[in-house]
Parts: sequence; C-alpha cells; structure tokens
Amino acid sequence: MGALGDLANGFADALTPINLLWALLGVLLGTAVGVLPGIGPAMTVALLLPVTYVLEPTSAFIMFAGIYYGGMYGGSTTSILLNTPGESSSIMTALEGNKMAKAGRGSAALATAAIGSFVAGTIATLLLALVAPTVVDLAIGITAADYFALAVLAFVAVATVLGSSPLRGLASLCIGLYLGLVGTDVLTGQERFTLGVPQLSDGVDVVVVAVALFAVGECLYVASRLRRGSVQVLDASAGWLTRQDLRRSWKPWLRGTALGFPLGALPAGGAEIPTFLSYAAERKLTKHPEEFGKGAIEGVAGPEAANNASAAGVLVPLLTLGLPTSATAAIILAAFQGYGIQPGPTLLTTEGPLVWTLIASLLIGNFMLLVLNLPLVGVWVKLLRIPRPYLYAGILMFASLGSFAVNADPLDLVILLVIGLLGFLMRRYGWPVAPAVIGLILGPIAETNLRRALAISDGDLSVLVDTWFSRIVLALAFLALFGPIVLRLVKGPRSTPEQLQADGHLEHRDRDDAVPTGADREDRS
Amino acid sequence: MSTAAEHPAEHSAGHPAAQPADRTAGRNTGEAVMSLLLAAVGVYLIVEAGAIAVPGSANTIGPRFFPYLVGGLTVLTGVALGIRTLRGDRGPADDSEDVDLDAPTDWRAVAVIAVAFLAQALLINVVGWPLAVALMFAAVAWALGAVGIVRPFLIGLLAGCIVWIVFVKALNVALPGGVVLEYLTSWF
Repeated sequence: MGALGDLANGFADALTPINLLWALLGVLLGTAVGVLPGIGPAMTVALLLPVTYVLEPTSAFIMFAGIYYGGMYGGSTTSILLNTPGESSSIMTALEGNKMAKAGRGSAALATAAIGSFVAGTIATLLLALVAPTVVDLAIGITAADYFALAVLAFVAVATVLGSSPLRGLASLCIGLYLGLVGTDVLTGQERFTLGVPQLSDGVDVVVVAVALFAVGECLYVASRLRRGSVQVLDASAGWLTRQDLRRSWKPWLRGTALGFPLGALPAGGAEIPTFLSYAAERKLTKHPEEFGKGAIEGVAGPEAANNASAAGVLVPLLTLGLPTSATAAIILAAFQGYGIQPGPTLLTTEGPLVWTLIASLLIGNFMLLVLNLPLVGVWVKLLRIPRPYLYAGILMFASLGSFAVNADPLDLVILLVIGLLGFLMRRYGWPVAPAVIGLILGPIAETNLRRALAISDGDLSVLVDTWFSRIVLALAFLALFGPIVLRLVKGPRSTPEQLQADGHLEHRDRDDAVPTGADREDRS
Repeated sequence: MSTAAEHPAEHSAGHPAAQPADRTAGRNTGEAVMSLLLAAVGVYLIVEAGAIAVPGSANTIGPRFFPYLVGGLTVLTGVALGIRTLRGDRGPADDSEDVDLDAPTDWRAVAVIAVAFLAQALLINVVGWPLAVALMFAAVAWALGAVGIVRPFLIGLLAGCIVWIVFVKALNVALPGGVVLEYLTSWF
C-alpha cells in the first residue's frame, strides 16, 4: 500500500469529469503558450498562474500540472521547428531536431520527442510518487540548521552550476535575495527596505517578479535585437516515425530518464545539465555516429526524455522539502503559498490528498499530451507563424493582466516595468534570471530557519554545523561554489552545445571560440 | 582562457574574438556600471539594516542579521564582477528564438515599449483595462515593426475586450473595464 494507495486516491480525485476538463484546459493552454517562441516553461507557468487563482486549490493544481508538462512539451516543439536557439533546457533537443526537420523528418523528430516525453514523464512521475514519502520520512527529523544548509546549497548550486558565469549567477541571486528582504519581517513585524511605500510592506509579489523578469524582460530584450525578416518554420508534415526509428529511440528515452530524474531531484536541479549529459552519452553510444550533426534521432530522444524526467525530479525537493531548485519550481512554490500552503516535510501529511491529486494529474496530463499533441501539430505550427510584433505585444498584454489581477493596483505594473527593465539588462549582459527568482522566494525561508536555529542555540553560530547532515550539505555547497571556479581556471569555460555537437566531448574549453549557431560552424578545434 | 587583462575595456578597443565588433561595443562599460550599482545596493542594504528597529528584549539575532549577510554578499559580488568586467570579461548574451545576437541594439524600440507600458499602467483606472492595453498593444507592435497603427490598435482592442469579458464575466477577476464596456455588458 503506502504510496500506491495514496496515488490511487489521488487518481480518484483527479478523474472526475470536471477535473479532467481542468486538466485538459491546462494541457492545452500550457502547450499553446509554451509553443510560442520566446516563451520557455518558466514564463509559461508564470503567465498562466493568475488564471488558476480563481479556482479552488484542487482544481487549480490539477490545471497547473497540465500547464507545467504542457509548457515543457510546447518548448521542445518550438525548438525543433524553428531554426533558432531557444531556452537552455531544450537547446540540446534542438541541435539534432532542427537537422531532422530540415532533412524532411520533422514529424519523426516531433514524434520521438513526444513519445520520449511521455515515457520519461510517466516513469519519472511514478518515481516521484515512490520516492516522496521516503524523503519525507528522512526529512521529518531535519533541524532548522539543516534546512538552512539545504537552502544555502540550493542558492549556490542555482547560481554557479547553471549558466556559464558563476559570478553573474551570484549577482542575480543577490538581486533576488534583496527583493526577498523587502517587506515586513515575519518574526518581529518590523518593516524593512520598504522605502516608506505602504504597498511594499507586504513584500514584492513573486508572481510580479517572475512575470517581470521572464515576460517583460524578454519582450524588451527581443525588441532590442529583433530578428528581422520572415519567420521560418520547418515542415513537419512528412517523415513519420519508422520501426527503425523506434528501435533507435527507446534506449535513449530510458537513458535520458535515468539521467534526468536524479539530477533534477538534486538541489542543483534544472534541466540544463541532464540534457547536456544525455546528448553526450547518446553521441558516444550511438551506432550511427556519422548521423550526429546531421539529424540523429537518438540526439532528440535522449535529451528530450532527460528534460521531462528532470521536470518531475525537480518536484521531489519541492514537494518534500519546500526547496525550489528551478525557476519553474519557484513559481509553483509561489502558487502553493498563494493558497496559504507552505511546502515542506509536513506537506504530505497536512495536504496529502492535494499532493497526490497533483501527482495523479501530472500522469493524466502527460497522457493527454501524448494523445493530443501529435494530431494537433498543425495548430502549433500556425502559432509559430504569429507575426512577432503581435506576439510580443500580446505577451505584454497578458503580463499586465496577470500582475494587475493579483492586487488590482497599478503600482504593481510600475514595479513590473522597473523589474522588467532590470531583466532586460540582465539578459543583455548574460546574467541568468533564474537565481533571482529562486533567491526571492527561498531567501525569506532561509532567513526564518537561520534565525530559528540561532534562537535555539542562543546565538551560537556553531549550531549551523552541529549535525552531520548540515556539515555534508554545507561542504557540498562550498564545493559547488568553488569547484566551477577552479575548473574554469584550470581548463577554461564549459564547452557549448555547438561544440558538443561537433566533437562529442563534454569538456571545459574556451568559450570565445564558439560560433553562435551550430549550423554553419566550421571546425575550430 | 580569455580573462585577458591585456584587453582594456574601452568600447572601441574591439574584442579579440570572432564576433563582429558591434556586438561587443559598449557592453563592458554597461555591465561594469551595473555591477557597481549592484555593489551600491549592497551598501544600501548594510546601511539601512542598521536603521531597522529591533523590538523587545535582545534575544539572539533579530531582523538585522540577514540583511547584513545579504548586503555583504552583494557588495562582494558587485565589486568582484565589476573588476572582472573592467578587465575584459563578458557574459554570453541571452539566446532566444527571435533574437538576432548580431543585430545592433535598438534602443528606440526599448524606450517606446517601456513608455507605452508605463502609460498603460497609469491609464487602467482612467479609461479601463481593455482600452489602455489596446493602446499599449498598438505602440508595442508599431515599435517592433508592424505595418500601420490602426490595425494593431483594432487587434489589441478586440483581444483586450475578449480577454476582459472572459476574465471579468466568466472568472470574476477584478479588472476595470472602462465606462463603455461596463455599460454594454451590464446585463450580463
């Protein structure tokens, strides 16, 4: 019994006609928005979050599950059919997917991505259901100091492991931590850094910041460097998945899942590294090395499976510890808080039915995506052709709607614009935006735990390294902070996706030699 | 390695790498300014943290401790990043489907969109969300190169009205509709 029985109850809750309708709506909305170019999964979730506010929690999270997986799926469709680099998590899928589509095998690329997403999503979500109660059992004895150590690890990992420049990741994290400090101190009721603005005493809304950094910042950034000329969408009408394609795909699906889930579940989460590793592994293991760089199906199947498996893996620390390790997870955490629910070790006991319904809905949504998306490819292709001026004007319209709907206060829109301009500059100078979102939401949680720990010890700082758990976690954080810097000094920056496609070696090397797109790259090594 | 202390940060210096010059021009200075602003935020955090009232008995650490910590980290990061950028280090600009990294920066478009968005925020409570957002839609589409100004405005107005009706009438979100639209839909 245990987890499976709970999951069965979750299915019972999720399988009512009205809830299935919410799941369907979530899946369709998530895919439709995720397909739009320039919109990654995090922005999809941030833009659609206000839609779920009007629902009661169970329906909202059912819809949300659909949006989450739908957004992931939509992102990979975009990256296969548009011959331009997209968000980091689907960039590896795009490498070979583009080439397949160009060679007239777009349909097969989309199919292996869709089925791979389904296989990986299903396995990883089931693993989530099996692992979560165990992690909760382990986490229940966790002290405030341990929790603070975990938060530090998440901060460091998100800031330094993701992205190409640890210092810029830290800078982004600092911005998030600063924004997280604004507002009323929970423990003493003192106002901090509110600049005397009464609306700021409630703090800066996470949804506003996420929409600002992702949607407004992206629009401004795209506007500053818009790709002119007509939009090129690759053809996806021909070249269906053959039996041979299936034979070549199933192992990469499983390997991608095996890489994606555990790496996603680590506090150093995110999809970037598992997709990177999956691509490198498939390149090494393939029986058709000559096809890599020209459209090898393994190079689509593996990374796409890893991408979806890590999306489920990210939910492990989120649902069991309340620890967000990706921008998308941070926004989901904000959604929980919006309903007055604080994810953490007690979530499964206090909100058990809700969590199990969420997990069941993830599985249902995943299945819906498989059934719906292959027939609907034609619709998604039409969405890809939306004229860019209207697309970005529309994104700003929904950014305005979402942020205004939270508090009905125009000041929120001014804050949205100011932080959006900041997001524009961050993108321009290569500061990753995800650490800012995570710092904003996890900062206050880290502070509360730090102060709780120090209150118990009467201000003695050694309480922070009192347990073995916190010692190991802090040591890992230390390693994650200085490891990449040392590696960089010794070997130069990490290889870019294009270099990986060209030589198949995952190694550290000089980034300045990289050519922006893999397509016309001449060999420089 | 390209930390390259031998390449000073002047925009005109040109970068040794394979990218066209206009892509790197001005970026180091801009980022250095941003890093120093970040360090200034850190200083602000430390200074202002001292002014936070600590209520009641002095029980261990209060509301000032964490701001000091964040402020210190922010100052260190800002200064370190500022030094690195001044010595020629630069981050990879963000890739996106519709971004042409080799295009020169179109500051006019950024300015038009920012002003349009601000105007929209201030107009919502005056003329209602649909009209305010339609004006912004038209300005943004124009800035991004849409043909004409009437067509984008009408598309924006239509979309704004539909979204308003869905969210206000069907989902009960509070959103000012403007006199005309609210009158027309009052029977709903």
